[in-house]
Order: sequence, then C-alpha cells, then structure tokens
Amino acid sequence: MLSTQIPESDIDPYTDESILNPYDAYRALRDLGPVVRLDQYGVWAAARYQEVYEALHDHESFISGEGVGVTEQLNKAQHGSSLTSDPPYHDLVRGLVARHLTPKALREVQGYVADWANRLVDELIERGEFDAVTDFGQAFPLAIVPDLLGWPVEEGRERLLDWAAAGFNAFGPLNERTVAGFPLLKEMGEFLYRMSVPGNLRPGSWGAQLVADAQAGKIANELLPALLGDFLAPSMDTSVSALSSMLWLFGEHPGQWDLLKAEPSLAGNAFNEIVRRESPLRGFTRLLTRDRVLGGAELKAGSRMLLLYGSANRDERHWDDPETFDITRPDAAEHLGFGHGIHGCVGQALSRLEGKSLMDALLRKVRRIEVGVPTWRLHNTIRGIETLPVVLHA
Amino acid sequence: MKLSVEFGRCEGHGLCEEAAPELFRLDDEGDLLVLYDPSAEIPSGQEPAAERAVRVCPVGALWRLDHSQAG
Repeated sequence: MLSTQIPESDIDPYTDESILNPYDAYRALRDLGPVVRLDQYGVWAAARYQEVYEALHDHESFISGEGVGVTEQLNKAQHGSSLTSDPPYHDLVRGLVARHLTPKALREVQGYVADWANRLVDELIERGEFDAVTDFGQAFPLAIVPDLLGWPVEEGRERLLDWAAAGFNAFGPLNERTVAGFPLLKEMGEFLYRMSVPGNLRPGSWGAQLVADAQAGKIANELLPALLGDFLAPSMDTSVSALSSMLWLFGEHPGQWDLLKAEPSLAGNAFNEIVRRESPLRGFTRLLTRDRVLGGAELKAGSRMLLLYGSANRDERHWDDPETFDITRPDAAEHLGFGHGIHGCVGQALSRLEGKSLMDALLRKVRRIEVGVPTWRLHNTIRGIETLPVVLHA
Repeated sequence: MKLSVEFGRCEGHGLCEEAAPELFRLDDEGDLLVLYDPSAEIPSGQEPAAERAVRVCPVGALWRLDHSQAG
C-alpha cells in the first residue's frame, strides 16, 4: 500500500469551543485523513471508526502501560490500574476488578439496582421539574456504586464526583482544567490509600475483597489504591453523562420514546444508541511501540496516538445517518463508546444495568419526558450535559 | 473461516449471542457456550454472523484466525 502523507492540523479538541461543539471539530479531523497530527500537542489522532477500532484491537503495538492521556508528565503518574497496563499484568488485575462486574456477577445486585431505579423515578415524578444531571444522572450512580464498593458511610460521597471529574480531566492536556484538579487528585489519592488499609471498607464489599487479595499476597499492596481507583472514578462521570443524555435524547425525540414504550425489548439497543450518539468518553491515547502503518499512514514507534471514540461513533464512513438518534439502528452494538478490545470498559455491564433499570422504571411509570435546553460541561475528557430541566409526566 | 475464542477474556456480555445466536449462547448461569466445534471451521452459511460476533465482542475475547497457511 502506498503510504499517505499525514496531514497536520491546528484543530485543538480541548478549547472551550471545541468542547462545547465537539462534533464539528471531529468531522473536520475525520475529513483531513485517517490519521492527523495535532501540532499543538505533538500527538497523532485517529478520528475515523476504522482506525480507532484497529488500534484498539492491536494492543501489542498500541500499548496502554505508558498511560492513556495526552500529557506525558501525567501519563508517568498513571500506574498499576488495569486501564494503564499491558498483558500479562493487565490480565491479572483486570480479572480482579472484572469478577464483580460481569453480567453474571451483577445478577446478585439486579434487584437492588431495580429497587433504587423505581424509587428514584417515583420521587422525580412527584417532584415536578428537576435537573437531569444532579437529580438523575448523578443521584443514581451515587446511590448504588459507593455502597457496592464498600464506601464507609461517614465519608462524604459528593467528593467522589469532584474526584472523578479531576481524574478524567487529567487525561487531557496540561491546561487550566487539568491543573485545577490537582489538589482533588491528591485528596483522592490519600483517600484511596486509607481505603487500602484493611478494615476501612465495608466487610464483604467488592473493595474489601480486593484488600483481602492483597493481604493474601495475590497482588502487591502498593497497587491497591490504583485498583480501588479503577472501580471508583470511572463509575461516576461516564455514567452520569450517559444517564443525563438518556433523558435528553428521549425528551427531544418523543417518537423514539413512544417506539420504546411499544417495544420495550429495544431497551438494550436503545442504550447502545445513547452511548453511540452522545459518547460520554471522548477518547484515550495509546503509545505505539513499533513502526506501523495505520489507515495507510506510516507511524513511527514512540508516537502517542489519540483515539477519538466520540468521533468514531459519528463517522459517516461507518454509520448510516450518524447524526440521527435511532433506537432501532441494526448495528448500534458496534459503537466504541466503551472503548473496545482488551481494555474495553470493565464496568460496562454495570453501566448497562443502571441504564436499563432506569429505562424499565421510566417505561412503566412515565408517559412523556419533557425537557428544556441543556448546557454542556466544559471538561477535557467527558462529553456530557451540565444542566437540563426535566419534567416526567406520568 | 476459524475463530479463536479466548475464554479467559470472556466476561459474558453476550453481544456475540445477539450477533450470532447459532454459534454462541449464554447458558442459564451466564457462562458462554460455543455451539459449534471451535477448533473447526465456522459452519457454512454462518460466516457473516461470525464476523459480526467478532466485531462486536467488547472485550477482545473473539478473534478471527488468519488461515492463510496451507492446511
């Protein structure tokens, strides 16, 4: 194959404007070529579906062990989690985290999650107008995840949201958003360190089992904070974004809501379509360990590649009519919103369970979802709604 | 066409079953059942479904084996 010249671009995905209107910047990057060099950051970006997919599925060339963010200085600090490691170590720690999060393991908590979903929806119907983010998108994961992890009751859960936001910002460039989160990251680090001490997490919880594994010598003690972090931070911001978008998309597309009411079995596909169209995670990076051709472009070993999931999920080369929200889309399951390949989101079954439980509750109790105008978060890594007024009509 | 099914990476998300119900199923326990001999060729006519299953497995547990070597 003839190699193609790699276009250089001054498009900056991390300006306020690009963050508020990401899809224009993504389209421009996709149209430039299969791989684009982002001058400003010295990284290469893949914005089309095919190249993002291919890179994610070649984890031997595109490694995670040197960090998955844009800033090398911060990548060096990412160590020990399953997100930022390579096989064989990755497979061991992923197994330790995944065992609680598989669909099979989550059967045990299905009833618990469904009860919370029903209570929340009842309460919000009663309330009248509420905010999609604070009262729904954040309220739900905050109600269930810390409990499952074994979070001590006397520790403030609202800190979790700030920590998660800071953690995800740090995957971006070293801009004001990232730097503002440093004190919070320090706080989160101290908290995770404390939780790594036996006895601080609720006995029998997921986190307590991880601590017990370290005591049994299955994992090194000093890796515990990173592994507990694997559970915590990713369970918040991403789910908050997906759940808030769920209300927004069904509110904006009442025909799709009516369709789901008529065909509740579409719920699983509907959740895929929500994550495809409003991907909560914009993307992660990989480090290339060998010279490799991607999309016809010759890349050198040592290149840092930004893989834009949110752009791949809107790539008109892969999807018919990608802007359209269509819960009957036959290939919605092919989205890359959870990443893909061996690092595919370890919590995706929990995320699907949260989404599906809330959809079930809404389907049973709500006739129409009325939404106002959303404002969007200014965040390096998470695409999501900041505020959105909603009324649920029973 | 042959596939490699990596049970060690399978987490039972079940997307393969949706894509290729004749080839993969989750049993009542939520564990993966392979409904054909995974060391053999994909049954005739099931290749498109098999390709879909490989494409949608979210955790890299299904791979297409390149069988270009003479066999």
